[in-house]
Amino acid sequence: MADLDHEQLDFLRERHVHFFQRCLHVLPERYAPYETRRLTIVFFALSGLDVLDALDVVDKPGLIEWIYSLQVLPTDDKSNLSRCGFRGSSHIGVPYNSSKGPGAPHTYDSGHVAMTYTGLACLIILGDDLSRVCREACLAGLRALQLEDGSFGSRSGSENDMRFVYCAACICYMLDDWSGMDRQRAIDYIRRSTSYDSGIGQGAGLESHGGSTFCAVASLCMMGKLHEVFSERELKRIRCWCILRQQNGFHGRPNKPVDTCYSFWVGATLELLDVFQYTNREKNRNYILSTQDRLVGGFAKWPDSHPDPLHTYFAICGLSLIGEADLQKVHPALNISVRAFESLRQLQGAWRQKTT
Amino acid sequence: MCLFFYFRDRKEWADLEPVPQDDGPNPVVKIAYSEKFTDVFDMFRALLKNDEKSERAFALTAEAIELNAANYTVWHYRRVLLQALDKDLREEMKYITAIIEDQPKNYQVWHHRRMVVEWLNDPSEELQFVAEILSQDAKNYHAWQHRQWVMQEYKLWDGELEYVEELLEEDVRNNSAWNQRHFVISHTRGYSDSAILEREVQYTLKQIKKAPHNESAWNYLNGILQDGGLSSYPGLLEQVTELQDTCSSPYLTAFLVDLYEDALETNSSSYDQQETLNKALELCKLLAEEKDTIRREYWNYVSRSLQNTYGSGDPDALN
Repeated sequence: MADLDHEQLDFLRERHVHFFQRCLHVLPERYAPYETRRLTIVFFALSGLDVLDALDVVDKPGLIEWIYSLQVLPTDDKSNLSRCGFRGSSHIGVPYNSSKGPGAPHTYDSGHVAMTYTGLACLIILGDDLSRVCREACLAGLRALQLEDGSFGSRSGSENDMRFVYCAACICYMLDDWSGMDRQRAIDYIRRSTSYDSGIGQGAGLESHGGSTFCAVASLCMMGKLHEVFSERELKRIRCWCILRQQNGFHGRPNKPVDTCYSFWVGATLELLDVFQYTNREKNRNYILSTQDRLVGGFAKWPDSHPDPLHTYFAICGLSLIGEADLQKVHPALNISVRAFESLRQLQGAWRQKTT
Repeated sequence: MCLFFYFRDRKEWADLEPVPQDDGPNPVVKIAYSEKFTDVFDMFRALLKNDEKSERAFALTAEAIELNAANYTVWHYRRVLLQALDKDLREEMKYITAIIEDQPKNYQVWHHRRMVVEWLNDPSEELQFVAEILSQDAKNYHAWQHRQWVMQEYKLWDGELEYVEELLEEDVRNNSAWNQRHFVISHTRGYSDSAILEREVQYTLKQIKKAPHNESAWNYLNGILQDGGLSSYPGLLEQVTELQDTCSSPYLTAFLVDLYEDALETNSSSYDQQETLNKALELCKLLAEEKDTIRREYWNYVSRSLQNTYGSGDPDALN
């Protein structure tokens, strides 16, 4: 009989491909809380399949249409520019429209910064040229979300924190246009969110956390300002805080349990800080694989727990950072495959040519 | 199984045409909603479309929230109605209290509560409420975020240090509580008062003696002494070295490495530079080989960096 007590450390690629395929198709009703962010689930599945080198299983043109239908287009009179971007889903009930515009006015229709980020990322992963994206409108929508303290909300009147600073930075980075944000204010917010222990919290005074630390460091890297904002001494302390997160896998805060997704949040931060090479890859890998669901595929935050799209995606990205065989490399700041990033660079080159 | 009287069949709703979701010809990530769910939200979409401001709309938001409390559009619309219909905000506080108790890790519910507190301009229930939530999960990030917002906005600093100490009595490893300690003190007396700083150093060393293997306490000690520099704080090296036998941990050793590095960086005259470098390298080796082996490569890297920065260039200087 197979030794069931031993950890099984083989990466079940096919299972995970099927897991993502099922996600893209239908989810059970208990996923209702995900309605407003279905686009992020599409991102986890598509980017996950990309890293797994399995994008051939998806209907790219169909997906591209659906994603464009989520764009909040400028209305004829352009009175909704501050609300432009992408929606997370069709939950508001605006009529389906995957064209470049104009949009139908609706008092409550608005983009969401995380959906604009994941929407653009998905289009890039699918090889779309973003020609139907109203870039100026997206950037106007983004500018409207930055607060005095430099942080971002997700939409008008929402909560604000480091997550949305990251989303904003990704949008500017992808659109190759930093007019979407006041970088200096965002930098100030990041500095003020750095804790006494040199980790970074969601905001000033808040507990340092692996997720917000990633958001801050990745944003600064995309701005090209990491070494301008933090001294070498400060970077050393941030590296130390991050590297102390490894227990076997990684946790997000001191004295908290480990969770698979931090293998990416903290792992990618360490990679951006040039010290991921000094982590213990074997223990990290063993932990991630202990959360693999061998039956239905996917990964969970902990062993013997239900897998979900987010943890599956970040487990795979965490394994990619370690150099797991047959996985595509991931851009540690932008969080898409390096391959997708290369095609983005090509696209940006073409945009620049046009403007000169 | 309950029978649900669909909104679309109710005569008081007959004037509204339900609005279905439209995902077009290539729907993706379809969620398999029940009839009840679809019915409520189709009606919600209809209300939104007309921007209807009515009691029935308000009642429907509660139904929608019960089905999906993460739908931020529903919460936004409910807030619009709370104001348009001049609803009783005290009742709303009771409502949101119950929902947060049930779903304390949802962003929307905490944001909603914050808005209601702001409208009422009344934070008087907040600290007790958050304490109640923290009693169920002492590290709930949303709860701590709300608590900090209330304290800063309404200047409610009294009694917080005592509250933090209670939490640390219950769990000295609660990193959120240590963070809150720093938050309170830095916003009140501050650490530039040397009496406060010394009190904090002694408090932290005491907690370390109780539970030596506690990263939070060591991070706090290190953090509050950064400004002045670890190597120049009087008596610190002695007090920490004293703990080595009974309260050893990788954090203690790493703290000493930091202290020695500070002495080297500041070229402190109280420390023999060569001896200090040797001690730091020795401790890095101890961490790599014995006390913190998971981070072996990192400690070797720290060692190399120290050698490169402060060494004479002779890698065998330690031997």
